[in-house]
Amino acid sequence: MAGAPVEALRRVPLFADLDSDELHQVALLFKKRHFVQGETVMREGTDGAAFFLIEAGEASVSVAGSARANLHAGDHFGEIALIDEGVRSATITAVSELDCYGLTYWEFRPLLLANGAIGLKLLQSLAQKLRSAEAS
Amino acid sequence: MSGVLPLAEVADTSVFGSKAVGLGEAVRAGLPVPDGFALSGQTVEQVAAGDEATVSAVIGTVRPLGGPLAVRSSAADEDGADASFAGQHLTLLNVPTVDALPPALAEIWWSANSDSAISYRKRVGLFTRPSVAVVVQRLLDPETAGVMFTRNPVTGADERMIEASLGLGEAVVAGLVIPDSYRLDREGNALERRPGLKRIAIRRKEGGGTFEEEVPAAAAEQHCLGDDDLAALSGLARRCEEVYGPGRDIEWAIADGTLYLLQCRAVTR
Repeated sequence: MAGAPVEALRRVPLFADLDSDELHQVALLFKKRHFVQGETVMREGTDGAAFFLIEAGEASVSVAGSARANLHAGDHFGEIALIDEGVRSATITAVSELDCYGLTYWEFRPLLLANGAIGLKLLQSLAQKLRSAEAS
Repeated sequence: MSGVLPLAEVADTSVFGSKAVGLGEAVRAGLPVPDGFALSGQTVEQVAAGDEATVSAVIGTVRPLGGPLAVRSSAADEDGADASFAGQHLTLLNVPTVDALPPALAEIWWSANSDSAISYRKRVGLFTRPSVAVVVQRLLDPETAGVMFTRNPVTGADERMIEASLGLGEAVVAGLVIPDSYRLDREGNALERRPGLKRIAIRRKEGGGTFEEEVPAAAAEQHCLGDDDLAALSGLARRCEEVYGPGRDIEWAIADGTLYLLQCRAVTR
């Protein structure tokens, strides 16, 4: 079975508190997805379905038409959609041929429902984010 | 492998989707359908996940088709889903070899799990997990192709309406040309023949995919169907109505002088 590399997932803040076994369970849910150069990977304001971790290539991030950053191998985007299915907060475009590992919330939810420990750790991670946002 | 069946054996809509089952019925009825297989939604998902045993089994089963291939989604969520998901789920024409099938299947799986597909599902009130089965067929290299209604979809008149153009039928389906149009009575007699303006033809591209070929001006305005073609189409309309019932929306192609049925569904407009 394929899946995403565990070490790369460990660097995603949302998954930072998961132990190796839990990370392995999450990693197995990922599927590879290729985007061609110039393809819109996600569009600001549209419903989000998946979280992506870049395996190879480069992507650009823009908000309201303004360039914000470029992303490379090991970078990730779209993780909040796994939790709330909410709208995308930025537009991501493939600057080059782009290979990603993708995880949809359809596949992530059953793992959370079956494994309360993983769910609790994600809640703690989100709570930390919320406190950081309130403090800044 | 139960998740990959020759079209002739496909009967379960919940596993293989309505498009695959419709083609299965056509093959069993002796209608001229290009050779092919149906892959279940679960099989497509396992291939997209990189499951090596499934990838190997799919390639081994489908290999007799050779290539190039037409790979079409066949939504397996619910009855009638094919029509409602038109434009959401991908069709890949001219996948050059069976070995190129796994990435094509992954691309189709992601088309059903993309942001836009999920947004669409929410808009139409579907909150279930998408499942996309697939039909893999030998890709034709047609001289002409198009659509046919076995009854006039606008007036309800008891006549066959045919639209035809050069090359692959996607030029007609996607509205890229003004196709030739023909009206036949139920006995196959031509009531009207109107030439279109077929400036482009969609052709197979070397190495995969398709391209738009420019059609010479004279051919663009000439009828692309002759009397024999119309007689064959009239016969196909009659056979489809015998098998499926009245009021059919048919996609067809003529390759090497032989008429093929690509899809047959109920008229919905």
